[in-house]
Amino acid sequence: MLTVASLAPAALRARLAGDGLRLRTGRFSVRLQADMPSVAAGIGQLYADYPLLQDSDFADFHLHLKRPRSARRWLRPQVRLHCDGYEMFQPMPLQHAFPMFEWGLNWCVSSRAHRYLIVHAAVLERQGRAVILPAPPGSGKSTLTAALCGKGGWRLLSDELTLLELDTGLLVPNPRPISLKNASIDIIRAYVPAAVLSTPVHDTTKGTVAHMRAPGAAVARTADCARPAWIVFPHYSAGAATTLEPLARAATFMELAGNSFNYSVLGAAGFDALGRLIEQAAGFRFRYSALDEALDTFARLDER
Amino acid sequence: MPVQWQLVPGQSLLHRSWDGQVVLYNEVSGATHLLDQDTLDLLHALRDGELAPEDWANAELQLALAELRKLYLVEPC
Repeated sequence: MLTVASLAPAALRARLAGDGLRLRTGRFSVRLQADMPSVAAGIGQLYADYPLLQDSDFADFHLHLKRPRSARRWLRPQVRLHCDGYEMFQPMPLQHAFPMFEWGLNWCVSSRAHRYLIVHAAVLERQGRAVILPAPPGSGKSTLTAALCGKGGWRLLSDELTLLELDTGLLVPNPRPISLKNASIDIIRAYVPAAVLSTPVHDTTKGTVAHMRAPGAAVARTADCARPAWIVFPHYSAGAATTLEPLARAATFMELAGNSFNYSVLGAAGFDALGRLIEQAAGFRFRYSALDEALDTFARLDER
Repeated sequence: MPVQWQLVPGQSLLHRSWDGQVVLYNEVSGATHLLDQDTLDLLHALRDGELAPEDWANAELQLALAELRKLYLVEPC
């Protein structure tokens, strides 16, 4: 199977600038058109291990990053993102093009893939058992996820979108780059020296953003679903002692439903899927400030 | 004459219970409610017609049902 790495940089740029690059991320196929060096660099650096599809292959999502040809392109050039022909987002500064692709692809999955219950959460697996990490921005979810898969021996299924298959109750991998923000970028550079990070992009709506490449082993195992075992709500708090406290099942249910993108869309099917998940996976509230202690706590989740 | 109540038509009381707490899916509003076991028992009793005529005069019961009405779970009949 060919991967994106099989394309020479010039060929990659040509596909992106032309009819589009088609690649597979987890169960989704994506067609991306973008005539921008920063996007080609980001794809080449972070998506090298992903299966490359042929031009004739079906694509679930069609994303097109365009530079508007207004007069402001000379002073403050912008980028627009079209998803399946529709423009769903406000234009952004041109230098935000690669993060815009990442956010746009997340939006495509979370707003369309309703055969899954989709939770705004990271998900990782070890020895066949998965931990779900739902959390709002600023909770340290992505930092913890990067540490767990970069150094803690956990397999990354996703940093952003937990996909729970409705009929099987299994967690479906969709490993993509991990979005690190602000201080987390240098923290992970120091804590996971082998991590490959994209060039930081400044002044986005989320501050400074850099993406960490998903481990190749995780990308290679996208067919291996995982059984949910734990739901851990992380919260980073500077100087806090590491604590892991059990959470009642009903409270876990309500909080997880609140973090889901499509729970209300799915109706009773979503309620049922979430109920089965809660009965399989124990809920916890986790506070931490030191990554070493956090990894040690997660290494001992089997004991809980 | 005290108000008598019934489940809002369409409610099947789809729920899960753990440790005395209940999550209930409201098939009319699409909302999910966090309730206690006593409240679920009351809804089941309404559904199954188990309330006796003298129960309707109970002020506390009327108050509880008025609260559940706000969630579109019950209605006067």
